[in-house]
This record gives sequence, C-alpha cells and structure tokens, in this order.
Amino acid sequence: MNEGEPITPPQIPQSQPIPQPIVTTPQQPIPNVTQPIQSVEPATTPMATAETPVTGQTRMEAAWGSSEGDEDYTEMASVGHSGSGEIFQQNYEPWRGELNPRWMRNWAILRHHVLGIVKKGHRPWGVPTKIFLVLVFFASLSDAGLTLLASLIGESEFHSMWGVNRDNLYGHVLGFFPRNVMYYPIVAALLVGGVISEDRNHGTSALYFSRPINRFDYVGMKYASVAIIQAVIIIFTLFLYYLTEIMAFGRGWAWIIDTFPLFLGALVGGVLLIITYTSIGLALSSVSKGKFFPGIGLLAIILGTKTLAIIVKNLFDREILYLLSPYDCLAHVGQALVKTQPTYDQYSWTWSLASLIVMNAISLYVLSSRVSSMEVTRE
Amino acid sequence: MALENLNLDIKKGATGLLGPNGAGKSTFLKTILGLIQATSGEGTVLGHDIRTEGSAIRSRIGYMPEYDALNPEMDAINQVRYSGELLGMNPIVALQRAHASLQYVGLGEQRYREIKSFSTGMKQATKLACAIIHDPELIIADEPSNGLDATAREFMINTLINTVKQGDRSVLMASHLMDDVERVCDDIVLLHKGKLAAQGRIEDLKAIDREIEIHVWGGASKLEAAMKQRGMKVRREGRVMRIAHESEELTTEILSCASQVGAQIRRMHEYEASLEDLFLVIMENLGYDVKTSEDLFSHPINARKVDAPGHMGGGAS
Repeated sequence: MNEGEPITPPQIPQSQPIPQPIVTTPQQPIPNVTQPIQSVEPATTPMATAETPVTGQTRMEAAWGSSEGDEDYTEMASVGHSGSGEIFQQNYEPWRGELNPRWMRNWAILRHHVLGIVKKGHRPWGVPTKIFLVLVFFASLSDAGLTLLASLIGESEFHSMWGVNRDNLYGHVLGFFPRNVMYYPIVAALLVGGVISEDRNHGTSALYFSRPINRFDYVGMKYASVAIIQAVIIIFTLFLYYLTEIMAFGRGWAWIIDTFPLFLGALVGGVLLIITYTSIGLALSSVSKGKFFPGIGLLAIILGTKTLAIIVKNLFDREILYLLSPYDCLAHVGQALVKTQPTYDQYSWTWSLASLIVMNAISLYVLSSRVSSMEVTRE
Repeated sequence: MALENLNLDIKKGATGLLGPNGAGKSTFLKTILGLIQATSGEGTVLGHDIRTEGSAIRSRIGYMPEYDALNPEMDAINQVRYSGELLGMNPIVALQRAHASLQYVGLGEQRYREIKSFSTGMKQATKLACAIIHDPELIIADEPSNGLDATAREFMINTLINTVKQGDRSVLMASHLMDDVERVCDDIVLLHKGKLAAQGRIEDLKAIDREIEIHVWGGASKLEAAMKQRGMKVRREGRVMRIAHESEELTTEILSCASQVGAQIRRMHEYEASLEDLFLVIMENLGYDVKTSEDLFSHPINARKVDAPGHMGGGAS
C-alpha cells in the first residue's frame, strides 16, 4: 500500500452470497449487509468458538449456573490466556544500599562461625562435633552439679571433694584426666580442624579475599570464633561452677574476696590453654587442605609430647622434656597461678611460660605466613 | 607472572580479557582487585588507587572466581547471603538480596538446596549470584562458562549480556572461549607474557584480518600469479584463495585477473576472521609489542610484512 493512500474498510462484493447466521431469534434484526462491515476489535473476553476448549468453569456453569440454559454453550466457554511459553523472566534488580564498615564484616565472620554451632544457615559444623560439644559442656559442669548436690545433702566431706577450692579450680581448667585427655584437646581438635583448611580445600578463601577483608581480619575472626566456642565450654563453665558454690552455700563477701584470686588464676590458666590450643590448631589447619590432619596433629602434639615426657621422666628422672609439651607447660604455669602443689619441681614455672610463648609465636608465624599465601585466583 | 609496562584504559561495558596460560591474566585481576602491590606505576579502578584503596575497590567490584569458591555443605541462599555479609551488608538486607540474586541467575527454585548437590552450571550461577549481590559497578568473571554444557553455557552468557545491557553494569570477562567473549564483549584486552599485546574494539581489531575468499575452477595457479603480479596479497589452499582486502576495487581487480587468465570464480565472499583467528594472528604474527586497535588498523599490511610468516606474505620465518 502506498503511503498517503486512504485506508478503506474491506468491502464485501454484492455478487457474493451473504452469510446468514445459523441461529437467529425473531427479536434479532437482520444486519444491514449493504453497510460496510467494520472490523471489530475482540472484546476483553472474546467470543468463544467451537474450537475453544471446554474448561472446568464451563462444566460448572452448565451444571450449577443460574441462567436458563438456552444460550449457546460456546458463549460460556472461558478462554484461558496463555503466555508465550516463557516461565522465567530475567530481571536485573539494582540495589542502592550502603555497605557497612569493617567491624560489620568482621562481625559477620565471627557470627557465621559461632552461630553455626547452634543454628542452621551458618557455618556447617559436623553433627558429631555439635554433639560432642554439648556432651563436653555438660560434662564440664559435673563439678558444679556435684557442688549443688553437696549443698543439698549437706555432706561436708562430699563438699570438700567437689566444692570450690584451690585444687578444684585448677582441676576444672587444667586437670589432666579427664578434662585434658578426653574433653578440651578433642574439642579444640574438632573445632580447628577445618576452619582454615576447608577454605583452602573448597576455595572459599576467594570469597573472603575478593571482598574488602584483609588477612588479619580473616584470621583474627576465625581465631576469635574458635576461642569463643572453647571459652564457653571451659571458662563459662568455670564461672558457673564458682557461681554455684556462692549461690548454693550462700557464700558472703569474705569468702569471695578470699577465693576470687584463685578463680582469676584458674581463669587466666584457661585463657592460656585456649590461646595455646587454638594457635597450634589453626597453624596446623593453615598448612592442610583437610580437617583430619589438623585435628589428629593437634591431639598428637598435646598428648604425644605429654606421653613422651612421662616416659622420659620415669626412665631417666628428667623433667626437661615437659618443656616440649604444651599441656605440661600450661599445667605448670596454671599451678603457679593458683598456687597449688607443683607437679614439676626440677625447673621454674617461668621456663614453662617462656616455652608457651615460643610455641604460640611459632604457631602464629606459621599461621600468618600460610594465610598470607592464600590465593584469590587459584590455590 | 609479572606484569610489565601495562598501560590500559578499560571503558564501561563488557571487556574480554584474553591471553594464553601464563599471560598474566590472574596477576592482572589480582592487581585490579588491590591484592597485589605494584612495584612501580599507578592505576585506578572506579576512581580508587589500586595501591592504597584495595578495600574500597573490592567493595565496588563483584568477583566471580574461576575455581570452586563455595562451601558444598551450605545451601545456596545462605552461601550467597554470607557473601553479602562479608561485604558489610546487614544480614536481613543480605538475605533479601540473596533471594533476588539467585532468582536473577535462574536458581530461584533451587536456592534451598545444598551446593554439593548442584551441577557445575548451577555452581557457576551461584558464584555469579555471590558476585552481584551488592549490585557492583564492575563484575569480574573469571572463565564464567568454563566446563558448562551447552544449555548452561548459553544461560550464563545471556545472563552476562543481560547484566551489561539491562543492568547497565560493566563486565570484565577472562576466558579462553573466544565465542563467548565475542558474544558478551565489545572490547578485548589481550595479554601475552605479562605485556599488553592488543587492546580495542573487537570489530576494529577484526578488521586487520579482512580478506576476500574465492573458490577457483581451472587456472588457479595462473590466477594466483596474475593477482600477485598486480600486487595483491594472496594466500592459497588448493582452489581456495584469500586475498588481503586492501582496496575497495579489490573484487573488480580479482574478476579482471580471472577474466584475463580464463579462470572461473565459482564463489566469492568476504572472509571475516573470528575472534579466535584474530587471537592467533595477533599472537603469532604481531609478537609482543603493544598494538592498539588504531596501530593495527592504520598499518595492517606493514605489520603483516614485518611479522607474518613467509607463506602468509610476511617477513617472519
């Protein structure tokens, strides 16, 4: 069609027969066919045709509808509107929010790891780890429970065995059996095992370092997460133990003033234990790609050096190898802090403290150098 | 791989980062992420100094790593949410954005599944969702379609195209798959041995290798000789010849030569190099010198004479 030519409606040639409607009613006027037929836009609900599918709505109308039933059934057929067949539409949604500063990012790492112990959607700690942590938590409260029991039955000998005193405060944190054989080293091993090594293994370190997170924040928050979980088990239960004694026996200020330095000594011993186990464990985790080696390695260092030192002491009566054992050094310093009878009398506790500092320094050096070498692009 | 004398100006839009293994692509990406300190020189990404403002740069960039960067034990929604939190997003906002991002990359129905149950394509899509959760101005996609089947690859490429066109975001895409780069990107940066080998619009760069391809029947050798006599640059493989497109009258001259020697030309069409051809031409023929699209386009024949192998009309052995 040429541009500018007027658009005329389609004309029906007069010579052709006029199509008659099949069904007509007397009231319905016969359309004036001499008039040109205008093209009609389909209504919003188009008139259905014979090809229109009979839907459930049609059947319902036929069975239960209020109309007379004389209408053309095709008029009631509902027409389903189908799309173009596309079931997924991709729309890019912009975001104009503000990103929070560094502390919020660090909080996210800490929250991710700590909440993962009790809540889904955060770091997926293994079920055995979670169960063991719960068991150890309650096992660590055994002295608090027995103190409560002693107060209930009023047996003084029972209380002297389990109540708060110099030796029991030391024993809560640094006692060898069962706490530093079956509880705390295994807790530390389970926690540190995959904290960094799994980032290497899964490549999730790229997720951190392609964000505005520096290495110090990354390792610092991981360290703090593991330490906090251990602190809940070791130090929080120590606090509950001390609190139970006060509450159950109605201890007054004089008793608290007397015993609080001992409590603080045990608390510092617990902090040293957590720091040392975490440092060694994370160093092992940073040199590995699995969680088995760091866990077993940590247990081997803690219990293996202790066993070796015992053997050497029994055979040669020399305690010097205790300086290589993290647990023995911690115990020696802890005994000095709480002022209990020292198990190690061939050398000063300051040697053990120096040994602990060296152990932690070496561990942190390994940890920092390994984390520095973690890649964003490829491991 | 150390980068050397790398002067780049990457424009808004989609840019492909090409180069053989060891060309320095990863080093380049780490440099613009502010993770590697340049020993000399300077640079800015989105207005931030790469030497001192790496943290600010990474806040405004979305990085999609080539390799696995997802915790297989986590479900997709929480993995993407956590990646948002690591940028400093409020946990609630991060969760909302994680839903939107996963919907965008086609994982809306799969978001509560553990990542270990995902296919490679779904993992790639999850990584992209992690990268775009904060609606970054620049998305760095490192081999985004690597290892994907045809359907997943198509979806990934379309998603990147959509991100550039509908989202008005910039994409820097490192890939070995030239077809994908060609579909997504308008510009390329070609690195080789830590140096810039070429940079510019793909269309411009492809123009350096424009040729007319003819299929000859009878008298092919005579036609080849005649065309060479007239100064045309001819490459021949049996009855197929390609003549460097240097002048607008080339087709007339070819037909004239054919008429002169009595050879039949049964087919004649313009041969447009693919990006892969272009890559090979640049890498093999132009060497390691910096060539912008303007350099290459203004002196393509000279470049070919100097560097191309002998059988292609150049001076190189």
